[in-house]
Amino acid sequence: MPSTTRHDPAPSPSLSAVGRALPPHYASQEQLIAALRDLWATKHFNLERLEDLHRNVQVGGRHLALPLEEYPALTTFQQRNDAWIRVATELSEKVARQALSRAGLTPKDVDHVFFVTVTGIATPSVDARLVNRMGLREDVKRTPLFGLGCVAGAAGLARAADYLRAFPKQTALLIATELCSLTLQREDLSIPNIIASGLFGDGAACVVLRGAEAPATGPRVVGSRSVFYPDTERVMGWDVVDTGFKVVLSAKVPQLVKEHIRGNVEGFLAEHGLVLKDVKHWVAHTGGPKVLEGFESALELAPGALERSWRSLKQVGNLSSASVLFVLGETLEEVDAKPGDWGVVMAMGPGFCAEMVLVRW
Amino acid sequence: MADIVTEAVAEIRRIAREELEFEGAVEPAHDLLRDLQLDSLGLTVLAVGLENRFRVLLSEEDAQGVRTVEDLARLVAARVEAAKPDAGAHP
Repeated sequence: MPSTTRHDPAPSPSLSAVGRALPPHYASQEQLIAALRDLWATKHFNLERLEDLHRNVQVGGRHLALPLEEYPALTTFQQRNDAWIRVATELSEKVARQALSRAGLTPKDVDHVFFVTVTGIATPSVDARLVNRMGLREDVKRTPLFGLGCVAGAAGLARAADYLRAFPKQTALLIATELCSLTLQREDLSIPNIIASGLFGDGAACVVLRGAEAPATGPRVVGSRSVFYPDTERVMGWDVVDTGFKVVLSAKVPQLVKEHIRGNVEGFLAEHGLVLKDVKHWVAHTGGPKVLEGFESALELAPGALERSWRSLKQVGNLSSASVLFVLGETLEEVDAKPGDWGVVMAMGPGFCAEMVLVRW
Repeated sequence: MADIVTEAVAEIRRIAREELEFEGAVEPAHDLLRDLQLDSLGLTVLAVGLENRFRVLLSEEDAQGVRTVEDLARLVAARVEAAKPDAGAHP
């Protein structure tokens, strides 16, 4: 069931600001290939084929949670996850403070924190650590969400907006923090893992959402729609093994996009009395070149419609759940949107599933 | 050469089952795309597995005439033969 319909008279929550941060340790794709080449050579014969796989994802480089030379020493899940907790907490605080500052708010104004990730685990969760570090109120509500993967940026927006429909005076943060480099299984020399190590990067984003009765400075979240594709559990995800998260990745992802996304988006828009050409601003998750091409061809988008997604992919790679929020932030800050403009935020992730969010300036 | 073809078919079976989670039968006459349901990633996994096992290079140009499991196994066998130090020394 959609979160709202065109007949729903309830006023909508708004998106006030998006904070974004990348860890300081940058490595170009060629530096990463050079660092991984010796490892690949322990199993693989045709290294040029593997280098091509890394180059074909069209990513120029990635920001890493740690300096490149520190990764080989992280041999256990505990070592990687401890590093994840430390860096994820630091980056999450940075983006939350940045987003609140851009929205003209303080930590005391926050009523609910939604924290999404799929790259590390912590209890107390990272959002709890932020309560202490940032001085959030003692009555702040927290919803840590693990496992939605790449879809969690869009799904997190939708769930935070759902919450604010019940509490229209309140303010929520959606924090998406992903340190994909710390999930890399060095001993997994499978092709899916080698592709993943070429595509995924590290970063964090935070969106400030405000209920309908709070002052709005950005577009409103008019509605959202989840779509689940039955019997696609092996398309994408983790096999959780003794050493951590071993990637499951299938080439069916772009195929699913091409087969389903048009019908999904058209159906969603129709619930709001809209058609594809009514949408002026597209905010698409940077899944990879084939996923973005799939969005463009299935939705028959105008050239340049996903330019910000392509640019983000090339500059920093796929940041899992944070990616779509990076593109959303750039859209809010760069686009000369007019009051009344419609936008769609969309992402896909393990399940396999999709989430679409309709926004209006 | 026939031995290598047989070995290559066995290796294709192993890769399909263990690395590609393919549960059906793999026979020499089976079509790689239609019967084994391989997509671009699956074909890459298969090619890399064969290159590693037989220490040969398979290129996209090589793959032009390859449609079935047997075609692929014969291509691997031809590459193995060509890579032998005395290849071409005998009439």
